Amino acid sequence: MYRRLLFIGSAVLLTVILLAWQQGLRTPKPITLTPTLTGKTEYCITCHADLPEISKSHPLKTFGCVSCHGGERLALNADLAHSSMRGGANPSDLSAVEMSCGGSNCHSGSEADNRDHIQRVMTSVQSTYAGAIANIRFTFGAQTDLAAHLGINAITDEHTQTGITELDAFDAATETNPMVQKFGENCLTCHINAIPRDGDTYTRQTGCAACHSTEKHTLTTAIPYNQCNACHNRGNYDLRAMTFIERTDQPTKRIQDYYQPIAQFTQCEYTLDCVDCHTRSEVMGDGDIHANQKDIQYVQCQTCHGTMTNLPQIKTITDPNDIALKMAFLNPVLDLKLGDAILVTEKGEPLWNTRVLPDGTYELIGKATSQRFNFRPVMGTACEQKPDEQGSQYCHACHAVER
Amino acid sequence: MPELSRRDFLKLTTNTLLTASGLLGLGALFRFFGYQTEPPPQTAFDLGEASSYPIDSRTLLPNVPALLLHTDQGFSALSLVCTHLGCTVESKGKGFACPCHGSKYDIQGNVLTGPAKKQLNALRVEITPDGNLILHTD
Repeated sequence: MYRRLLFIGSAVLLTVILLAWQQGLRTPKPITLTPTLTGKTEYCITCHADLPEISKSHPLKTFGCVSCHGGERLALNADLAHSSMRGGANPSDLSAVEMSCGGSNCHSGSEADNRDHIQRVMTSVQSTYAGAIANIRFTFGAQTDLAAHLGINAITDEHTQTGITELDAFDAATETNPMVQKFGENCLTCHINAIPRDGDTYTRQTGCAACHSTEKHTLTTAIPYNQCNACHNRGNYDLRAMTFIERTDQPTKRIQDYYQPIAQFTQCEYTLDCVDCHTRSEVMGDGDIHANQKDIQYVQCQTCHGTMTNLPQIKTITDPNDIALKMAFLNPVLDLKLGDAILVTEKGEPLWNTRVLPDGTYELIGKATSQRFNFRPVMGTACEQKPDEQGSQYCHACHAVER
Repeated sequence: MPELSRRDFLKLTTNTLLTASGLLGLGALFRFFGYQTEPPPQTAFDLGEASSYPIDSRTLLPNVPALLLHTDQGFSALSLVCTHLGCTVESKGKGFACPCHGSKYDIQGNVLTGPAKKQLNALRVEITPDGNLILHTD
């Protein structure tokens, strides 16, 4: 009996040791990386060496992987290594963004240092969807005014400039009107927290990556119009059925790619990319909670072209810390220098991809294409626009192209 | 060849299995105790003979990364690690520029434009009795 037990025991022991040995042989030899920022060794590139550098501002040698993604830095087993990652494969998802991209030296620093990106995005209409929620709730009697009370997530703004200090979280389940409930179920896939609808055509990510990631594992400020199209031109709402109807056409020309069947476009509106004209505060927010899109989106034709009586605003860059220089550094489509004159918006935001030319005309360089466009002011032309009709819709009356 | 009894066969097999297990177990034990943790980052760099660096020379040391200066005041060195987030700054014009976030430093390592707020670190250079230069980054 003793000998039989000894035989079985030794056989089991040998099997266990052999299995453990084999497992050890199967484990890859770690490839180490010790990023300058943390000084802590990571094994992530043992498996992920094929990924492209995410951006010039986030070099692997400096940041490594764990600073942004989290995860178990010394694990060589995929499940264990990925077990504590932030935001799944997308650390910029707004649920994880503060841990991944925040910090006073990175993207949740002070407004004065232009490092308040996360606060700006969190309070922006792209995240809160506050205007759409207020409009629908007002229309169907769930609230008595058009003021923004609810957002996709609860958010506060202690330093409000708009008078809106907080939004409570919208919850379709607590709404009593069936249309508002349907709105909650069918119409909230655009805000940048939302998981996109199925379908390859309008694939996008969430959080910062929704706009800034145009290819796998990349971040850029050179954002082409079709990145914006992933939300802004993929179809239309049917408010009677309170549902979203995705477009089914297959556009072959760029002007058709801009959907919105009733909209009019001038040539520059469909030739340029959205980010060529719309500023960072319009798109990413300005740090304040706004009640709707029209309160934050303000750039119009006159911003660049001026009016019959006024030239567009310009400024000469004299401060080496000017935000225009920083933005041109991140996306060097032009060599912007101290002393260069550029256009600025009515709110003083730099249109850093423009410059004033010696002959009094202007040049815009496409942020995503590097294409150069020369344009002139309205003043001195035969334009007969009335002084009190300066909105872009009045420009469209003469300058819209046939679609 | 003498025939093995069933009892002897089992005994031999058991001993073989036990010996193999023991050897493999010992191997695993040696491997366990012989495990090398990741060495700490290098903080001292032997730069060779001091005489290799003439007066008024500026030598880029990309593997540190640092800039070694030899003036009539002696040897000094400047870290080329940006004090903002740790990217390696590049020589640009009469100073240095960070390729990641655009901080600029003058030739002494003082900040000209942010986001960096602190100047580039000065590193300690030691000359050994036999005339070799050792650069310390800690």
